[in-house]
Order: sequence, then C-alpha cells, then structure tokens
Amino acid sequence: MTTEALLDTGRELIAPWTKEIAEPEARRLDAVIEAGDLLAAVEALHNAKWGYLSAITGLDQGVEAGIIEVLYHFCNEAAVLTLRVRVPREAPVVPSLYGLIQSVTFYERELMEMLGVTVTGTPNSDRLFLPEDWPDGVYPLRKDFRMEQLHEA
Amino acid sequence: MDPNIMQPQSLEMKQDGDKFVIPIGPQHPALKEPGHFEFTVDGETVTGATVRLGYVHRGIEKGAESRSYVQNMYLVERICGICSHIHATAFCQGVEQLAEVEVPPRARAIRTIIAELERIHSHLLWLGVAAHEAGFDMLFMYTWRDRETVMNLLEGITGNRVNYSANLLGGVKCDLTPEIITAIRTGLDFLEERTQHYLEVVTTDAMFLRRTQGIGVMTREQAESLGVVGPTARASGVARDVRVDSPYAAYSEFPVTMVVDPAGDLLARCVVRVKELFECYRVIREMLEHLPEGDLTTRMPRRIKPAETISRVEAPRGELLYFIKSNGTDTPERVKVRTPTLPALASVAEASVGHQLADIPMIISGIDPCFSCNDRMFTINDTRGNDKTMSWEALRQYGIEFYK
Amino acid sequence: MTLNLDKSWQHVLDQVKTWARVNSPWAIHFNSGSCNGCDIEILATLTPRYDLERFGVKLQGSPRHADVLICTGPVTRQARERLIRIYEQMPEPKFVVAVGSCALTGGAFHGCYNIMGGIDQVIPVDAYVPGCPPRPEAIIDGVVKLLTALQASVKAGEKVPVADPGKPEEEAIA
Repeated sequence: MTTEALLDTGRELIAPWTKEIAEPEARRLDAVIEAGDLLAAVEALHNAKWGYLSAITGLDQGVEAGIIEVLYHFCNEAAVLTLRVRVPREAPVVPSLYGLIQSVTFYERELMEMLGVTVTGTPNSDRLFLPEDWPDGVYPLRKDFRMEQLHEA
Repeated sequence: MDPNIMQPQSLEMKQDGDKFVIPIGPQHPALKEPGHFEFTVDGETVTGATVRLGYVHRGIEKGAESRSYVQNMYLVERICGICSHIHATAFCQGVEQLAEVEVPPRARAIRTIIAELERIHSHLLWLGVAAHEAGFDMLFMYTWRDRETVMNLLEGITGNRVNYSANLLGGVKCDLTPEIITAIRTGLDFLEERTQHYLEVVTTDAMFLRRTQGIGVMTREQAESLGVVGPTARASGVARDVRVDSPYAAYSEFPVTMVVDPAGDLLARCVVRVKELFECYRVIREMLEHLPEGDLTTRMPRRIKPAETISRVEAPRGELLYFIKSNGTDTPERVKVRTPTLPALASVAEASVGHQLADIPMIISGIDPCFSCNDRMFTINDTRGNDKTMSWEALRQYGIEFYK
Repeated sequence: MTLNLDKSWQHVLDQVKTWARVNSPWAIHFNSGSCNGCDIEILATLTPRYDLERFGVKLQGSPRHADVLICTGPVTRQARERLIRIYEQMPEPKFVVAVGSCALTGGAFHGCYNIMGGIDQVIPVDAYVPGCPPRPEAIIDGVVKLLTALQASVKAGEKVPVADPGKPEEEAIA
C-alpha cells in the first residue's frame, strides 16, 4: 500500500472521534481527539492492525495556555499518524492504553513522572527515570520547572 | 543493612510461595550502562520481569530546550556513544525539515556512509558482547580486534573514534578524499572476509548454538504487539526497517535490502545482525562507487519558524524517533527522543518468562540494550530469610557452567 | 590484618604490597551517567589492539577486589548513592580515575537537572583523563601515570596517597 493509501485508511478508522485533522507534513496526519475517545480510537487502529504505537510525547503548552498535549504517534511504514489529546494543565488525566497495547507502560510511566499527567488504569505507576529522592509534584518537562524547586526540596 | 548486598531502593518484593525476586542492580563491570531489572523466579525458571531505569537519566530533553539548535547537535550526539551519529542525523533531519532546507546530495551520501560504518561498529561490538555473555571470549576478542578496523576508518573520516560530530545543520563537516575512499574499500574487504567467518562460527559452533538456539523466543505476534523495532523485530519475522519503509538521507538512491528471519530466537538475532553487516558493506561500496559531486553544506537559517516535525531513522538498534517543536527562536520548544531500546526492553520481560535463570544474561544482551541494562549485584531474596548475593559476573559464570 | 612487626619488616612488607599493587592493579568500572562512549573505549583498552592487561591491569567485577575505580560520565542523582557505595566497598588504599569530559566537569550535560557535576563532586579523584571520549591510549596513559606516581611516592618514603574528599590530587600525577 502506498503511504497515501495508508494515511487514508488511518483517517477513516479514527474519523468518528476526530475533532480536527491536519496534514502538517508529507506522510503525516495529526488528529485532535478528546481524552474520553482515546481508547475507542486506539482500539480502532489496533483492531485494524494499523501500524504500531511508536512513542508518546507529552507537550506542555505553558502556564498561560493551561494545556498539556499528549501525542500518540502511530507508525505504519512511512506513514505517521498522531493522535493529539488536549488535557487541562491543572488536572491532566488520560486513560491508559494498557488494555490494548501491553508495551505502553514505559511510555506512560515516563509521561507521568515527566509531566505529571495522571494515567488512569496503568498497572505500574512507579518512577522509571527520575531518582527515588525526587520531590513529589515537581515535573521536569513542564515549562515552569525551575532548578530551584529541586534545591528547595 | 549489609553493605555487601546491593539493595535496590525500589523493590516491589513480590514473594509468593517459593518464588524469589531477583533484582539485577545497577552496575556492570565491563560494558553496559546501569539499569535495573527484577526477575521473579520459581526455582530456576523465570516467571516475570520488571524494569527500573534512570541511572543514566541526565535530563537531556529538558536540557535541549535551553540550548540552541547548533549546541543541541553536540548534546544529542552524547545521548549515546555507540550510535551517536544516528542521533545527530535524526536531529539534523528534523531541524532541516522544519527549516525546509534541502541538503546537498553529497552531504546526504556521506551522512549515510558514516551511519552505515557506525552500524558496522555497533553490530560487531554487539556480537562481541553477546559472545562474552555466552562465555565465548575468543569470539569477543576477535570481533573487537576487527572492530578497530572500522574505528580507524571513522577516525580517518571524522577525526574522532566516538562522537564523530560529522553532521552539521544543513550538511556534513567532513569530505571523503580519494585516500580515505581507498582505505574504506580495503577495510571493507577485510571485514567482509572476517564477517563470513563469524557467520560460520555463529551458525555452526555447537557450544554457541546451545546458548542461542531456541532461547528467548519472541514470536511474530509478540513482537508486533510489543512494538519492537530494529534487528530484534526483524529476527522475529517483522519486516520493519525505517531505511526501507521510509527512506531518508541517501537511502532512496541507494536502497538496502531488509534482512528478516522468522525464527525469533537468540540465534536469529545473531544471524540477522551478522547478515546486516554484509548489506552494510554492499551499500557503502555502492555509495562510494556513485558518490555524488557537489557541496557539503547549504545555508541554514538560525531561527526556525514555529512548527512540529517527526524525524525517524534506523539506528543500529532499530527505529529512532525524534519529535521536534520549534517556536520561531534559535532554541527548540521541545525535543522528544524515543530510543529503540525502550520498546525492546519490554520484550525482555516477554522473552525471559519460562526460561532458565542462566539464560538471562544472553537474553538481555540479545536485544542489544543501549541506554541500559544489566548489572552486577544480584540479591536472591529467599523467603526463608537466607539472602544470597550473586554478582553479574557470577551469574554469567553460572550460565556458562550450567551449559557445560 | 595487624601484624606486630618491627619497623624495618613493616617497611619491607609495605614495599612488597606496593610492588604487587603497581604491577597488577585490579580495576572496576562504573558508569554513573555516561553516554557509553567512554565505556566502550575503556573496554577497547582491554581488547587485542590496546591490551591493557599487559600492564597487569585486570577489569574486575566486584569492588571488593578492586584497587582502582574507573568512573565515566557525570554523576546523575540516581547513580550518586551507588557510586558512593561502590567507593566505600573498595578496600584501602583505593584510587579513582575519572575518564572523560563529563566525569571531569559534567561536560556537555552541564546544567541538566539530573546532573550533580563531575565525579569529584561526590568522591575524591586521583587522576583525570580528559577527552570526549578519551582515546584508549589516553586512558592507558592515565592509569600508568597513576601507577608511576604511586611507585614514586613509595620510593620517596611517603605514605601511599589517599586523596582527601573534594580535593583533586592533580599534583600527584604531575
């Protein structure tokens, strides 16, 4: 299948839950979906065996925007489909994909400790990268992270 | 606490019945970076595994946000000392996509040649490590001796043995002179002959076969569902290779053939990597034969307009994914790196279940963990309160003795 | 082990110990946050091309058996405790060689949140080998210089140098 055909299939699969969709670059699709629809959309991709979950990126949009974006990158040959979930910065919650893709725990653990996003239903919420004595509530990849927060703690 | 026993701090001691949890603590005498595994065992058989990383977590993704694109080139090269060039390539390509800059063909070809030389050095390194873990130190010494050939070539091209810093935003720093091209050709001829020998050793040596054949099997279904990438996936019959699927740099002009093996065991992982070496030699020769003429660099803007991009490349260990977001300044807003080891680590848990404890060193090195993995001190926590400590070295020795 | 020897015999015993130590130092390697570049170069020193073992240097698995701790990488918060513990487990006298720019100062990772700085922020260091990564020859040179300094100081009748915490002993290898 050509990359265009793959992208079209992907677009159709997630169409019921898509709020906005864009093609930022060649071979890429970027779809915004609600956190509540995430599992349904991923299930659609997973059942159709459309690619594999390659990475989860957490993106802090800053204090003013008050939004954290969670990006789920699915790769299928040359095509990359990104599901973009926007959650409020104050109480960021996304559902775990563990029920569908078991290998997702590492990505989810990273997301939790680096950006303070709560992933509901993930089997292991231990720290993966940060040290044991890292202060709670300090998330290094948030834009308002300061080194002083570490020294204070 | 007894200082003899390296107690990992994050232990979820799951002890039920006669099962022990074996933490593989965070240091290794020879090769690897620290990481931490916990294996649950029932007698000699492994029943589960969990991973704790972060002993080498330096905070690079955050660090990248406070450095300019040019400075970041040096930072991302130092994410990994084995696959440094491919990290820089992935980052460069991402930034070039954001800036909509076209890299000259000669620069792309040189990038690719260095990337393939790096793959040769990485695979030879891995073969040595795997042989060492199997108790086959002779092969380890031979592969590392031959690896020096390719290290010399890399040094000849770029001036450094590791962290070559060959990439620039918008091109490459170093050219291939006729002398170095001749040297590469001679080096490749020698290596090809040696690799032929290694392929023979790996597939016929009875001792090595007993340590690899049918061990750590990962089926195609498992590999697909785990999202495993690179040679580990290809050894389970999953045809996944970014060089083929989504050609970057010069791979569209000089395509590579994917090496796939359906067996899924450690032997398949060895064979796939060794066979990939031949493919490396072939494609480098072809590129040297048809090396495009022209400039090495093109002009890059210092500030990059706001956008997001994804850059995927095939590192020696598999797909490496960079997500870069720019914000109109000369520093990136966000750099996300997903290294191939992360999904591969999950496969350790899957592949090790049901195997002998003695096979663990081989299974872990079978995925070629990069930021990574094994360690030295083992604490066997006995439910009856008799703690035993086993070093990685001792466990390795145990593995060797077990198969005598 | 305490022996009630008179001074001259004690001196002879010390000389024998130093002779053994200088001719066959056992090293342990610890990566406290390195990119792996230095680590593979350390390993390369043991392989046929460079063959560090011809100086009697043996890479050892256990800190209990080691004389020299070869450290690579900046010290991450997570690895700090481990590094100190390994250092404490080594028997006296012990020596620390910091290999690579990161191990010296934090190098390219300077300012990253999980970095404590160079090795000497955490444990005393006897020899520094700069480079990113240092060539295998440089690593060998660093170890040999440490051994030469050790030998020289013993000949001069000094006590075997044990570095003060936090005080780089660069003079010792000068």
